[in-house]
Amino acid sequence: MKNTIYTKLLVTALLALSISSCKEDLLDPVPKTSVSDLSAYDTPDRIESLVNGLYRGVKNGNFLGGRYFIYNDIRGEEFLNQTNNGVTGLQTWNFTINASSNEVNNLWSSAYAAINNMNLFLDKVDAAPAKIATDKVANYKGEARFLRALSYFSLLNIYAQPYTKDNGASLGLPLRLKGETGAGNSNNLKRSTVAEVYAQILDDLNFAETNLPASYALQDLNVTRAHKNTAIALKVKVYLAMGKYAELATEAAKIVPAAAPFKAATGVGHELNANFAAIFTNYRTLESILSMPMATNDVPGTQNQLAFYYLPGPTGGGEFSLNPTGIYGSASFADTDDRKKLTSTSGTRIYLTKFPGASPYIDWVPVMRYAEVLLSYAEAKARLATGVDASAVALLNAVRGRSKGSVLAPATKADLITAILTERRIEFLGEGVRSFDITRTGSPFPAKGPVNAVSPSQSEYVWPIPTTELAVNKDCVQNP
Amino acid sequence: MKKKKLLLSMLGLLFSFAVLAQSKRVTGKVTSSDDGSALPGVSVQVKGTTKGTQTNNDGNFAIDVNANETLVFSFIGMQTSEVPVGGKTVINVTLANDGVQLEQLVVVGYGTQNRKDVTSAVSTIKGDAIKSIPAQSFDQLLSGKAAGVNINIPNGLLNNPPVIRVRGFNSITSSSYPLIVVDGVIVFSQDAGSVGPGGIAANPLSDINPNDIETIDILKDAAATAIYGSRAANGVLVITTKKGKAGKATITYDSNFGWTKPYRTFDLLNASEYIMMKNEAEKNRATLAGQTYSPLYFENLDPNGKPYDTNWYDYVFQTGFQQSHNINISGATPKSSYYFSGGYTNQEGFLKKNTFERKNARLNISHNVTEKLIFGANVTYSSSDAFAPNSGSLQGTNFNTGGLGRVPLVTAPNVPAFLPDGSYNINTTGALANTPGNLLNKDRSGFYNPVVLLDLDKATAQTDRFLSNIYATYNFTKNLSFRTDYGIDNQTVDSRTFNNPIHGDGFAAKGVASNYLYKSTRWTWQNYVNYNQKFADKHTVSATLGTEQQYTKRNMWSGSRQTVADPFFDTYEGNYTVNNNPPFNFFTENGFQSYFGRVTYDFAKRYYFTASLRRDGLSALAAGKKFGNFYGVSAGWNLSEETFFKDALGDKISTLKLRTSYGKVGNAGISDYASLSLYDFSNYGGSAPALYFSQAGNPDLKWETSTKLDIGLNFGFLKDRITGELTYYKNNIDGLILNSPLSPSMGVPGNSVAKNVGSMYNQGVEFSISGAVINNKAFRWNTTLNFATQKNEVTALAEGNSDIFGVTQLETANITRVGYALGSLYVVETRGVNPATGQRIYVNGKGQEVQYSHAVATGKSRWTFLDGTTAPAITAAADSKIMGNTIPKFYGGWDNNFSYKKFDLSISLIYSAGFYVYNGTKAGLHDQRFWNNASDILDRWTETNTNGSWPRVVYGDNISNGSSFPISNNVEKGDFIKCRNIALGYNLPANVINKIKLTNARVFAQVTNAFMLTKYSGTDPETSSNGNSNLAPGIDRNSIPQARTLSCGLSLTF
Repeated sequence: MKNTIYTKLLVTALLALSISSCKEDLLDPVPKTSVSDLSAYDTPDRIESLVNGLYRGVKNGNFLGGRYFIYNDIRGEEFLNQTNNGVTGLQTWNFTINASSNEVNNLWSSAYAAINNMNLFLDKVDAAPAKIATDKVANYKGEARFLRALSYFSLLNIYAQPYTKDNGASLGLPLRLKGETGAGNSNNLKRSTVAEVYAQILDDLNFAETNLPASYALQDLNVTRAHKNTAIALKVKVYLAMGKYAELATEAAKIVPAAAPFKAATGVGHELNANFAAIFTNYRTLESILSMPMATNDVPGTQNQLAFYYLPGPTGGGEFSLNPTGIYGSASFADTDDRKKLTSTSGTRIYLTKFPGASPYIDWVPVMRYAEVLLSYAEAKARLATGVDASAVALLNAVRGRSKGSVLAPATKADLITAILTERRIEFLGEGVRSFDITRTGSPFPAKGPVNAVSPSQSEYVWPIPTTELAVNKDCVQNP
Repeated sequence: MKKKKLLLSMLGLLFSFAVLAQSKRVTGKVTSSDDGSALPGVSVQVKGTTKGTQTNNDGNFAIDVNANETLVFSFIGMQTSEVPVGGKTVINVTLANDGVQLEQLVVVGYGTQNRKDVTSAVSTIKGDAIKSIPAQSFDQLLSGKAAGVNINIPNGLLNNPPVIRVRGFNSITSSSYPLIVVDGVIVFSQDAGSVGPGGIAANPLSDINPNDIETIDILKDAAATAIYGSRAANGVLVITTKKGKAGKATITYDSNFGWTKPYRTFDLLNASEYIMMKNEAEKNRATLAGQTYSPLYFENLDPNGKPYDTNWYDYVFQTGFQQSHNINISGATPKSSYYFSGGYTNQEGFLKKNTFERKNARLNISHNVTEKLIFGANVTYSSSDAFAPNSGSLQGTNFNTGGLGRVPLVTAPNVPAFLPDGSYNINTTGALANTPGNLLNKDRSGFYNPVVLLDLDKATAQTDRFLSNIYATYNFTKNLSFRTDYGIDNQTVDSRTFNNPIHGDGFAAKGVASNYLYKSTRWTWQNYVNYNQKFADKHTVSATLGTEQQYTKRNMWSGSRQTVADPFFDTYEGNYTVNNNPPFNFFTENGFQSYFGRVTYDFAKRYYFTASLRRDGLSALAAGKKFGNFYGVSAGWNLSEETFFKDALGDKISTLKLRTSYGKVGNAGISDYASLSLYDFSNYGGSAPALYFSQAGNPDLKWETSTKLDIGLNFGFLKDRITGELTYYKNNIDGLILNSPLSPSMGVPGNSVAKNVGSMYNQGVEFSISGAVINNKAFRWNTTLNFATQKNEVTALAEGNSDIFGVTQLETANITRVGYALGSLYVVETRGVNPATGQRIYVNGKGQEVQYSHAVATGKSRWTFLDGTTAPAITAAADSKIMGNTIPKFYGGWDNNFSYKKFDLSISLIYSAGFYVYNGTKAGLHDQRFWNNASDILDRWTETNTNGSWPRVVYGDNISNGSSFPISNNVEKGDFIKCRNIALGYNLPANVINKIKLTNARVFAQVTNAFMLTKYSGTDPETSSNGNSNLAPGIDRNSIPQARTLSCGLSLTF
């Protein structure tokens, strides 16, 4: 009998336990690897992390962490595809890309994801619970708006007709300036015109110039975070794209003195680095205005890495070799030039070795260099002058001379402009400038290997708007 | 020894008491009603006392009792019998098997029902039907076995989870995979391979030994599944493992040996055809582009001057050998039952290096501690080792450069795998070589040399699974019991990959090793009360009421290192110079708090009524929205039990039962923190922490609900020699959680937010019939045919009913659109080849025919109308249309079992029809880059063959074949009839086996995938390159073929 009493007790106890043990936390586990949106702005450290997160957004391997620059180069005539691999830019290179291509969709999505983080940050940082100094908040907002300008500018260069075609009257981009959390319905947004997007870019950059710090204590940050001169340098590039040379000259003059030695007088003292190759191995020289930093625990991601595309095996993937009839074969690009030393011959092919890193390919990705400011300034001066502008020639020879290129003395204004444009091809080979230069000058994409030339009137001249956008954003229209 | 003495003296004491009572002696024999055999160990007790004895080995007993007492004979698994002693001195008793035999029981969740009393849609498959067939898991063996249950084997990769659909696709973004319950406990069923490095299949159901399974009950309608509430929308597979059966211990040994080969491969161009074709393509290209032609591919000679002609299949596929052995010992005594088993299986796939080895043990035991209290446990441990080369045959891996499904198809046949000096044919840039030594190809010869990958790369998964439950049942009275059941499901998967530094994916990194440790832990605690009572001999009532809690934790940590310090290293634990970021880490938890109840009632076995209710709380939902209610009701009318029916038709129709059910269940496939908006940390430049918006949550999220209606009838003719079932069902699924697409320009993570916005329905008719066609003493033929139709239509999607696209890694060929079936094929229509130009004809969105030439002269357009004028380029986005459904309109199976004397033969056929497959592999097989082609390309358009079935070849063309975007030329009908299995067995005659002291011995031989009838041109229309994906089904893209396995084996019972 005792046995039964015990078992009855046991049963009753179990029954009671099971009904009462509605464990409170069983239905309320807290994520251990993410923070809630409600607490993301709680501490000064988290806000600093959010700012880093904005840079991380643009650093995405599909965007400024690699592919954006690669696409801009391989659209041009300097490179030949060697692997026929559809995943590594084949269609971008041979102009068979279409609106549903992965390149077109991924770059767009990555850039806008970065922009949304900036917009969310700008919406929320003023009301953040964390206690931070107001000037620090202003710095942060300057960084966010600088990055937003950089992102929209980069998108315009590939998805829209150049401003110079029709003073920005063409269709630009959906201009998103408010943070999106997924709630509500703001799917539909018309494309602003190219001019409207440029207006916003300049507004952001002017705000950034005012609010960014002049410099950071660490040179690492001077290269990887925006400061006043970074905003000015980007304005120089923006005005170059718009063909507004006078405005360009005004901005460039803020960081380039009238005569040699060319070194920024205020803020971070940008100057040309004496050793050309060292810019791409040291990463932290004063020449680098903005670079995307990489590390073994922060890599560009598979098939996004510059070195993987351009270096031959066994170090790189040898995806693209240099076109012997491109700038590589130009008489202006002498074998004695330091820049030519950053090429190599492997078998019958020539490769660019500017980015020398082996796997995991953590070469920093240069976004803007002081040399570009100098050449842009030179081009503006050359175009603004009626004859041959001597200071433009000086700027050109400063860049050229640094790499032991022969001293040039163009005879006419046209020769000078041509020389500067040629110099850009030499100086920025593999740095994502070529397509930008072709489109802003309204030139055709020259033929290369089996690929025929593409004229500005062809639809292939710029990328299409991705199908994923058109499918949902009903107000967005495709490029003609 | 001491114990035995004690026992003896106690027995002696007992006996002396009995003697003291001084009554009369009663003797007798207890036999089984089944076969009249003597039952040893039967408890013989005097009712209401502790006095009793047991039958001896011959079933005899002797006991002293008074005439006014009653003897109670009880034995596990048998009906208890009570016999008043009265004047008798000899009492012989025949015990019948317990009211219902196990096979007539249907496990319905937290209880069982007699099959005859079931008024919901439940199919039962017996374990015997699936044992001894070589497979990694039982679910692979269920195809065609139950009406309305469609099971596809995705391809021949070992341990690849089959696609299981109970009454069609019941979700869009959550899983459509059914809930799996083993011995009452909800177990893990997510493919553990999909959370690791990818590429290694790890079906969690393979941890359950098919030989241990007694029955599989498939619950299909709401009435049957509602007791599982929020997890029941996809149906429930209830697995019951074997228990010991009354009688002496039985030992069974089963083994089989098999040989497996790929079933159907492609006929490819040989070296000389390849050289001719590629150079012709290059010549066409150069001519069209206005350039000078020079040949790209050349005959390459081996040292003996013989041209290389490599069939790359020979280096990738093999005949794999497999074996498995199982032994079990089971039995039962009056108070305890036990089943112990051990199993070993070792299988090689037809893909070289692909292996699967499993060791497992199970102990199922129950013990009556007292008359009222039963304790029991089902304990199983399983350990498996899998090796899976990069097959490119799992979802998300279809376009892997090293995917061995594709490599043998694309690699040039005019180069060898090995160079004359015996070294691998590889070049310094990590590709298969085209120009070392005397090789002359001017363009690429292939991606990777598969031999190196097979020799040096590694991808393994070691799985440990501990799956157990312990329970106690207390019978308060005969009618009222309480059960508490605590289950544990712990799964650990240790996955390791190594990519060698010499060649392939690890080349650039100079060797990469990654380890992944995935652990999923679950406990479930159930407490419930069962009550059943019969009133006035006609009213039977039963009720179940209980609670259940479940906690699940899943986490993975991983590490990756690259650049081997020395070529000797091939494990993560070795030495490397670079530490990478962990490839995949996560930690997530969820909990369920549930209350459930069920009431059944029947009146005289004629009218039935059942209702069940479950209230589930799920942690993934936002506060205040965590709980939801689910229910199911059913009613049945057993016409054949009515007197008027019996009188009129009883001699012809032995069973006729009408039944209907209705209810609402849910789908809880909601990610663990789906209601929350989250920010994640990463870093910027390696050292600066970076925080960013990572998930747009939705606090309004709730379960997807499935409202299921079911109307059916069960019938039996000729004393149930022929039985069958006919059912109509309709499932309305609402509140489908969809990633409501957002404009990518909004920049919200994933470009979507999860919302309950979709609706769709599935409806169909299921019919099954089985019967003994011939039932002679010597020759028997039993047949079972089942047939099911299904119609799926999506009726609402996210705001604006935006289409959802189904992605096959890099390609999009599926669409989910309102008014059509889920995952329909969405491609650009093509209309063959223009005989005038040799160009592929496409139909654009406006219905105009345009043609494409991959090479044109400067300034000319690649796309032209047929009159030669420039046409806008075809794009997948603007010009695709729906060109076919991927969900079969009807499907089923036909099983035939023959026996003649000692021989038995079974033939299992499955069939599916009324569906289309996107044969993406066919696109690759006609790609005009360096890729090799299927030999039918020889019928391409040329100036002398203007009716060629393939376009004029142009080197580099990846558009005319459908590589760039999917085209309707690659859409094919998938209709097939396949012989899944043929088995021939022979039972050794009694006089032979008795000599070797066996009670039964059977030898058998069988073949799986014996033959197939289909017009499909790919390897198999059953292929699912995207596995269990809802949105991208019916895609055959670069997967390895299916396997055909020949096996033989034996089964011995001692």
